[in-house]
Amino acid sequence: MTKLAQWLCGLALLGSAWAALALSPPGLRLPAPCRQALLPLPVYLLVAFGCYALATVGYRLATFNDCEEAAAELREHISAAREDLRRRGLRF
Amino acid sequence: MATATDRAVGFGLVAFSLALFAYYTLWIVVLPFIDSAHAIHRFFLPREYAVIIPVVAGLLLLLFIGVFIMVVTWKSKKPAKKSE
Repeated sequence: MTKLAQWLCGLALLGSAWAALALSPPGLRLPAPCRQALLPLPVYLLVAFGCYALATVGYRLATFNDCEEAAAELREHISAAREDLRRRGLRF
Repeated sequence: MATATDRAVGFGLVAFSLALFAYYTLWIVVLPFIDSAHAIHRFFLPREYAVIIPVVAGLLLLLFIGVFIMVVTWKSKKPAKKSE
């Protein structure tokens, strides 16, 4: 089974569980606050996932270490390549 | 070590998303179980906004992305046509 099919199956499962609980089937008696908290749950999970993604991006931005020698080496490579190409006639 | 700006922006993003998550969790999950007479309800908008605001924000984001892609595609087509 492909990853897409797996994700879709998982989403369908969760979606049907939520719909079964939230759309007030006649046999089920949930207390009112529980139903009030349950209805916006898909939007809540989406917002929570967005917060997690933002926090991960921010954390990795803050903890990514600069590599000074690699930067200097790369600048050297770039200027050497430009020299070489200029000698061979490519105009910048 | 990342530069000071990088660290400031990064940890700022982390703090912002933690705050947003805490506020939204309180709003959606905790508030229904709290008596409507309690003072904490003053800090939260009516519940409909808890769904309307993220949906509208999501639609705006999609609109922005679509417009950006259109502008970039249009800009990259024009020079090719002009050189013909």
